[in-house]
Amino acid sequence: MASTVDKPVAARSGVDKLAWRGRPRGNPWRRPWLMEGFTWLYIAWSIVPIAIAVLFSFNKGASQATWQGFSTKWYVGSQVTSVLHNPSLHQAVIQTLVLAVLTTLICVPIGVGFAIGIDRWRSRTSTGLNFVMIFSFVVPELLLAVALFLLVTQALTFIRLGTSAEVAGLVVWNISWPAIIVRARLITIGNTYEEAAADLGASRIGAIRRVLLPLLMPAIFASAVLVFASTVDDFVIVEQLSSTAATQPMSVLIYANVHGGLSGPALNALATIMLVISVAAALIGYAGYRWMTRGEGTSKRGTEALTGITGI
Amino acid sequence: MGRRQDTFDRRNRWLWVALAAPGAIWLLVLFVAPFYVMLSVAGGGVNEFYQTVVPVWNPLHWSSFNFTGVWHDIVGTGAFIGSPALRTLLYTAVAVAVSLAIAYPVAYFVSRYAGRRKALFLILLIAPFWVSYMMRMLAWIDLLQQGGIFNSALSSVGLPGNTDWLGGKSVTVVLGLVYGYIPYLILVLYAGLDRIDQRLLEASRDLGLNKWRTFWQVTVPLSKPTLIAGAFITALPMLGDYFTNQLLSGAPGTTMIGNAIEGQLDSPGETGQGAVLALMLLVVLLIPMIYYAVSTARSSSEFA
Amino acid sequence: MGGGNIKLESLIKRFDDFTAVDDISVEIRAGEFFSLLGPSGCGKTTTLRMVAGFEPPTSGEILLDGVDVGNWPPHRRNVNTVFQSYALFPFLTVAENVAFGMKYKSVPKSERDDRVAEALGLVQLTGYEHRRPNQLSGGQQQRVALARALVLRPSVLLLDEPLGALDAKLRRALQVELGALQKQVGITFLYVTHDQEEALTMSDRLAVMNHGRIIQLGTPEEVYNEPVDAYVADFLGVSNLMDARVESGGNGQRPCRLRLGDFCLEAQTGQLDAAGAVKLAIRPERIHLHPYETSGDNLVPGMVERLVFLGSTTHVYVRLASGSALQTLVRNDGAALPYSQGTPVSVGLPADSLRVLPDPGVSVAEIHEKTTGDQVLDVTSTTPS
Repeated sequence: MASTVDKPVAARSGVDKLAWRGRPRGNPWRRPWLMEGFTWLYIAWSIVPIAIAVLFSFNKGASQATWQGFSTKWYVGSQVTSVLHNPSLHQAVIQTLVLAVLTTLICVPIGVGFAIGIDRWRSRTSTGLNFVMIFSFVVPELLLAVALFLLVTQALTFIRLGTSAEVAGLVVWNISWPAIIVRARLITIGNTYEEAAADLGASRIGAIRRVLLPLLMPAIFASAVLVFASTVDDFVIVEQLSSTAATQPMSVLIYANVHGGLSGPALNALATIMLVISVAAALIGYAGYRWMTRGEGTSKRGTEALTGITGI
Repeated sequence: MGRRQDTFDRRNRWLWVALAAPGAIWLLVLFVAPFYVMLSVAGGGVNEFYQTVVPVWNPLHWSSFNFTGVWHDIVGTGAFIGSPALRTLLYTAVAVAVSLAIAYPVAYFVSRYAGRRKALFLILLIAPFWVSYMMRMLAWIDLLQQGGIFNSALSSVGLPGNTDWLGGKSVTVVLGLVYGYIPYLILVLYAGLDRIDQRLLEASRDLGLNKWRTFWQVTVPLSKPTLIAGAFITALPMLGDYFTNQLLSGAPGTTMIGNAIEGQLDSPGETGQGAVLALMLLVVLLIPMIYYAVSTARSSSEFA
Repeated sequence: MGGGNIKLESLIKRFDDFTAVDDISVEIRAGEFFSLLGPSGCGKTTTLRMVAGFEPPTSGEILLDGVDVGNWPPHRRNVNTVFQSYALFPFLTVAENVAFGMKYKSVPKSERDDRVAEALGLVQLTGYEHRRPNQLSGGQQQRVALARALVLRPSVLLLDEPLGALDAKLRRALQVELGALQKQVGITFLYVTHDQEEALTMSDRLAVMNHGRIIQLGTPEEVYNEPVDAYVADFLGVSNLMDARVESGGNGQRPCRLRLGDFCLEAQTGQLDAAGAVKLAIRPERIHLHPYETSGDNLVPGMVERLVFLGSTTHVYVRLASGSALQTLVRNDGAALPYSQGTPVSVGLPADSLRVLPDPGVSVAEIHEKTTGDQVLDVTSTTPS
């Protein structure tokens, strides 16, 4: 370095050469247009087909491909084919909601209890049970559905195919949502708050009730929303464990009628209703999560809520 | 100070067991037991008259009746399991590769470069997650119909517009699998990439590596566990998929192993064989499942 | 309700193969501010947690006002804790946090508000009742944690490095405040810290711990001026440890004669009857620097290596002709220093300040490592070009 200072003229070319070799090509802070364009392309590919399907549920005609004008006949208008009036479509909507509510009401409490219990009960049994829980969502749904079908038809025949079997299967399939999400939150929280509660006079159960559960509320809420939405959309287990048409929720009805049967836009209408229910759950989840974490002021609460409710 | 066991917890062990019990019992009765039933059905027989399943509960009495039936279905004359099985592997491999190729750049972009618009992108990426699989397939069925929008678009640019996309094309099924499962993959990759400490990348740039080198020598190795987890979480459900094919094709030339299992289960007299097939699929998937389970369990405890 | 006397008798705590607390016996008097001082891993926090009730002792007794509470759960002991991370419940307001424990003491609802107000007044946070913890600064959160514990009027308050997360200036201010608060409230404080300045500032008595044992117990003056070994000497501030050999031992009347390199010194404090290799310690404020030609007892020639300006004082690093590196300090009272980097000086080590300590058999550098928990570079050995 000293030489270039002393001999500016002679060494200038050397310095310049160095600069040229090390200089980045183009602006290192330029926007990555290619990646961004690709991302937008993906988003379009991902969302546009669904938007079109939703649009066609409002089609005046019976086609799913040619637009014939706007109408709500598939939902409420037509006496024969609308969701409101057609008994089997009507029933499917109700069944979906019934399954979702029942499953959530059962799955979340036992999942939360499972998460707390397994976390603190340090033994080989608990580690084993944790593995079983992880397996329950890693296994392909078809295999679980088949196994449950056989269980219900060959062994525990007092659980008859139909709503009770569907709920039982859905609870198993979804128990990993609260179990994992609440457990993750539990690990982040740590022991200190409950120790503080115990120090101040709370018994073990009192500390859980007054301190741990409020701290876990966002995670419990998020997992409830996820279980609800997952159940609304579920297909494989419900199909396998359904019996009569009365126990078929919307997802199964659509599947059964895709290649003929009910006319196209009616299916779109059903699917759109499923979409609305799930999105409503997501919005409630997002709003609720943000409200519950208002005591933890971080600047990125929006994105945290988004990732929180998807269980990432 | 490191090994501080919370002996506080040992005093109250009964409480933790009680809390975990309902979930544990539910899992044992409705997850573990069903697979035992499946084993018993696979190792059982058939009531010749009613063509119904006769499960055999005692492992010592399991017969190979159904297993031989399946074996014939795989290798004997009139074998029909071989092609779906191979096809499943092929479809899944291609679908996972395509999914990764699409998902990684998207996840990378949103986690690294989205800046202030991150929330917006996240919403758009998460949205399909809340759309049911049924609807996503339905959307494409509408588009790919004969006389549907996709064919109309093709013919409007001069390409042939009368292909029956839904009549048994592998391309449709594979892309259907991609479309169906890619939202999960993107979210998993996003979560993993987002977790990479930005400072590590800054340190790498500071030490002289340019953008490309930093990506290959720092980002990719750091995201390897995420990539593997993502590949698994995508491949595993695909291997058991049957409805994508049913919805988007319905032709025998594109069936997957899931269809074969379903078919056997529904045929009277062959339910036992269906159970065997399901078990075989389970065994094949057991190793990746265990691998995934172990790494999930390990990573979730690293959060502490 | 007792006065808050704590007696630990032969207390031992083992985790699998690791002994965290290795036979501690100490009596903490009611109303005393007592500190446990030591580096990470010395067992001080484990001891505190045993007194609080979060760990049961492996053996030994914990007597609170004469009652053995060793196996009692935390909520039954009349002891409250201020945690290092404060552990304020984020979903409750300040007032609700402070009031949390009163439900278990059957304090009637009418009285609760008054007690909360009283406790917040004690920690100078009146008016903050309806804020949430995430709206408070670190120092304020710590005070809420204090109020939450004090409102229950325990006989003993346990504090687990409560000032660790605060910046230096705030820490010093709160140290003084905490000491004053303790005197005002009059209950026993058992304080755990690794910061010797904190322990010296606030304690009535302190115990220096290492490897699960109490090495020395005494008042701050005793422990600072009369450390019992090289480790304690080095832990509490700069000790200027030197290797020396005893020539002739001393006792109450006769000083100990020692050889430091080529030089003869006399020492009048410490283990005067030691023999063989020993360590010598002297506090920086006791060393005097004289002009080079000065002669006299306990004067060793040396050179000023480095001067570090610290605001109110200047640290002067000198190297003795015997090789030892010493640190002394000078108050910056306006007068210019008569020496600078490179000046030869005569270093005075007064015999009544020079302390003989048993040689633990390791080098000075290794002792530094143990007390700072890290490797220390010898700054004085870097010679500028």
